[in-house]
Amino acid sequence: MTRLNNRLLAAHAAGDTPALVALYTEAADTAASQDAMGFYLTQAYIYALDAGHGSATVLHSRLVEMGRDY
Amino acid sequence: MSVTDLSAVCSPIHQARGLPNAHYIDGAVFTEEKQALLYSEWAGLAVAADVPEPGDAVPISFLDIPLLLIRDRKGAVRVFQNTCRHRGMILVDAPRKIEGAIRCPYHSWCYATDGKLVSTPHVGGPGKNTHEGIDRDLLGLIEVRSHIWRDVVWVNLSGEAEAFEQAMADVIARWAEFDTPLFHGGADSRFQLDLNCNWKLAVENYCESYHLPWVHPGLNSYSRLEDHYHIEQPGAYSGQGTLVYRQLKNDDGTEFADFDGLSDKWDKAAEYIAVYPNVLLGVHRDHAFVILLHPQGQGKTREHIHIYYATTDTDANLRQRNTEQWKEVFAEDVFVVEGMQRGRNAPGFDGGRFSPAMDGPTHLFHDWVATRVQAHRDQSTAAE
Repeated sequence: MTRLNNRLLAAHAAGDTPALVALYTEAADTAASQDAMGFYLTQAYIYALDAGHGSATVLHSRLVEMGRDY
Repeated sequence: MSVTDLSAVCSPIHQARGLPNAHYIDGAVFTEEKQALLYSEWAGLAVAADVPEPGDAVPISFLDIPLLLIRDRKGAVRVFQNTCRHRGMILVDAPRKIEGAIRCPYHSWCYATDGKLVSTPHVGGPGKNTHEGIDRDLLGLIEVRSHIWRDVVWVNLSGEAEAFEQAMADVIARWAEFDTPLFHGGADSRFQLDLNCNWKLAVENYCESYHLPWVHPGLNSYSRLEDHYHIEQPGAYSGQGTLVYRQLKNDDGTEFADFDGLSDKWDKAAEYIAVYPNVLLGVHRDHAFVILLHPQGQGKTREHIHIYYATTDTDANLRQRNTEQWKEVFAEDVFVVEGMQRGRNAPGFDGGRFSPAMDGPTHLFHDWVATRVQAHRDQSTAAE
C-alpha cells in the first residue's frame, strides 16, 4: 500500500487524472473493507467523471451496487 | 447617496440637459445603474464564438458577478453562475475545455455541462455519496437567462425582462436582411480596449455622427457628415447610418463576400446601432462587428470587439487590414470618451446641452437612462 500511496501522491502532484483513476481503482480493488473500497471507488469515479474517462460508468455502477450512490 | 435630479434630461432635446455628473463619477449611482440598466435588461455578455466547441467554458466576471459561459454537450450555449451550490466556491477560474464534468476544486461536487449536479462525493460520509438531505435535482447550477442574437450572448440577470424577441423586436426587424449566417473572423478579428471612462460615454460617442469630421478626419474623403443619418428608436436603440460605405479591396481587386440576400439599399449603406444598454453593433454588406461594453466601475470600461464575415474562408490579409482599420477608428475615439470622463469632475458642469439637429441619438440614450433609473427609484420607494 505504501508503494501505491507514493504513486498516488505522484499522480496528484503531476495532475495526472488518468493515473489517478487507475490508481484509486487499484486501491479500491485491494481495499481491506467495504468502507475503504467505497472511499477509493468514489475517488476513482470523480476523477473519471472530471476527465470524461470511459471508466466512469463502470465505477458509478459499482458504487450504486454497493448502495453508495444512485 | 444624494438622489440625482433627472427632470431636465427627458425634456425635449432643444431644452434638455444631459445626465448629471454623478452618473459618471459616483460609485453609489453606478451601483444604482447596475440594477436599473444592466441587471434588469438584456445586456451583452460575450459572443458564442468564445465557446466554439462542446465543453468549452469561459469564466466571466460581469458587473462583479462570477458567470460561466459554456457550450454544453449538445451544443447549446449556456450561462451559469460560476459558483458551487455547496460552499460557494468558484468552479472554473480560467478558460478551458470541460472534458467530462465541471468538478468543484474544493470538495469535488460535479456538474454536467447542462448544469445538473451529477455527483456529491462523500456527502453522506466517507465513500457514501448520497444523503437524504441532499437532493441533487434541486442543486444544479444556477442558470442565467440568456439568448443569442447576431452571435452575441445576451443575458438578463434579473430574469424579469420581457422575452428577448419582444424586447428587441424593433432592431431585429430593422436588420432582418442581415439575419443570415455570420462567421467570426478568428483570433485576428477580436481585440479589447480598456477605457478610463464610464461605459455610457462609449455608448454616447458611438451613436452620433456629429464628431466624425473632427475625430475621424480620415473618413472625410469619402464619408462626409452629410452622408450620415440618425437612427432613433426611443426606449430601445439609437445610432447612425452612412450612405457611402466603401468596401475594402485587396491589391488584386478582391473583396470580402457579401452577406446573402441583401437588397440594393446595402450596396453603399452601413449602419451603427447602440442597442441599450451595452451592445454596439455595426453592419455592412460584407462584414459586421460587435462591441460589448463591460463596465469595470464608474470610471473604467473594457470594450470587447469582434468582427464577422459572410463566409469562413476570408482572405487573411484583407481580414487583417479590416481589423487594423477598425482598431484605428476606435482608438481615435479613446481621447474623447476619456476626456468627457475627466470633464465630469467639474462641479459646474450641468450635464451639457445637446445639438437639436445632431445629438438626437445621444439624447435618446440619456432619456432612456433617466427614464429607467427613475422607474427603478419609484419601484424601490414603493417597496419600502
